[in-house]
Amino acid sequence: MNPFRGGWLILFTLLCAMVLAILHLPETWPDWLGWLRPAWVALVLFYWVMELPDRVGLVAAWMTGLAVDVLQADPLGLNGALLAAITWFGWRFYERLRMYTWLQQGAVIAMLLIGTGTVHMVVLALIDGRGVGWHVLASPLMSFFAWPMVLLALHALRRRIPVS
Amino acid sequence: MKALFVRRSGAGYLLTGLLLLSATTLALEVNTRLLEPLRVRLASLLIPIFVLAEAPYLAGGGLGDVVATREMLLERNAAQAEEILALSRMAQQYESLKSENDRLRALLGSRARVTSRVLVAELIGVTPHPETRQIIIDKGSEHGILPDAPVIDAHGLFGRVIEVGAYTSRVLLVTDASHAVPVQLNRTGVRSIAAGTGEPFLLELENVPITTDVREGDLVETSGLGGGFPSGFPVGRVVSVRIESTAAFAIVGVTPLAQLDRARHLLILLDAPPELPANGLPETQSASAPEGNTP
Repeated sequence: MNPFRGGWLILFTLLCAMVLAILHLPETWPDWLGWLRPAWVALVLFYWVMELPDRVGLVAAWMTGLAVDVLQADPLGLNGALLAAITWFGWRFYERLRMYTWLQQGAVIAMLLIGTGTVHMVVLALIDGRGVGWHVLASPLMSFFAWPMVLLALHALRRRIPVS
Repeated sequence: MKALFVRRSGAGYLLTGLLLLSATTLALEVNTRLLEPLRVRLASLLIPIFVLAEAPYLAGGGLGDVVATREMLLERNAAQAEEILALSRMAQQYESLKSENDRLRALLGSRARVTSRVLVAELIGVTPHPETRQIIIDKGSEHGILPDAPVIDAHGLFGRVIEVGAYTSRVLLVTDASHAVPVQLNRTGVRSIAAGTGEPFLLELENVPITTDVREGDLVETSGLGGGFPSGFPVGRVVSVRIESTAAFAIVGVTPLAQLDRARHLLILLDAPPELPANGLPETQSASAPEGNTP
């Protein structure tokens, strides 16, 4: 009834997060709204590693990053490193993070995302000559507000489908 | 408790290893094309995700056809009939103009223009990052698409294919900051390079001296130099010419003619453009010089 101890649910939510990550806005909407997209994949991954640290490994996080690289047309390996770093942090401090309120958790992950976002921006600036700017703060801020939604949605899912 | 501790220190090593691995793949990606097969393989695995993300728009188009009222259909029909009339009027003279053009080109001693075969492809995915201008189309090497094939839509040059999978390909739009195309002005024949800026609707002409005759509204078309794109495809219109007295080059903004944000059906040119002669000059100049005219 529950193959892979519910591991497929983790995979499924990650795939959903990837769809959200590349879902684009209608063409008539202004372009800068694209900067406000929360880092869905990182949020979902962070949730799972915090709740089930034994089920989400660093290598799996790195592979997820590889898929994100292809979806976002980033150089291969870039998002893998960033997601692995986030996963490592969640894994290292999961006892503490679980005790936090969603505000504190959101603040922690926003800080993490500011760090990884800055690395992402600087690497692309070095490789492609892309611009460097304060827009890097927009996505972590929106991720902070998206975190409770991710938390509630995944909690609700887990109540129906047990994952251990 | 001890086991946990051991595992923890192991994770640190693993993370370091993965970061080093990422650094390696990044270096490979920047300097070589070794990882391209892997990227193509992954992209074809991830097609369902692209399609799912695009589904609202794909379904929206289909739904629009279903719920369209009779008046809307009639209106659309009338508009299309009008468009067909206008286009066929232009096409009537096309054959005679083409044969005349071929004859004149034969007189000048240059090759006749080849009309390339085209393939219609549909857009199935858009890269979400605001500064990355790439799309995914639903045709690949199985349909005969080659890497670097030029892509056009009904109005002008759209971009070029940068990555070919078996059933999908990735297209770099003309507005991407890493895209550039050799162009000439239709009115004066001035040559330049139209480079993408990363802005959604802006190209810039590079290295245009401030003394050059460039005006707003000039049509910019591909020059065929460099061999990447066939000549004569419209690229855009000049929208701004800014001349700063201290600069040697004018800043010329061009807005692309192709509907980069709206086009869902694209044309891929299948035949590679003809090779340039060895001296690198365009064929009209190199081949038309009569023999014995050289000093």
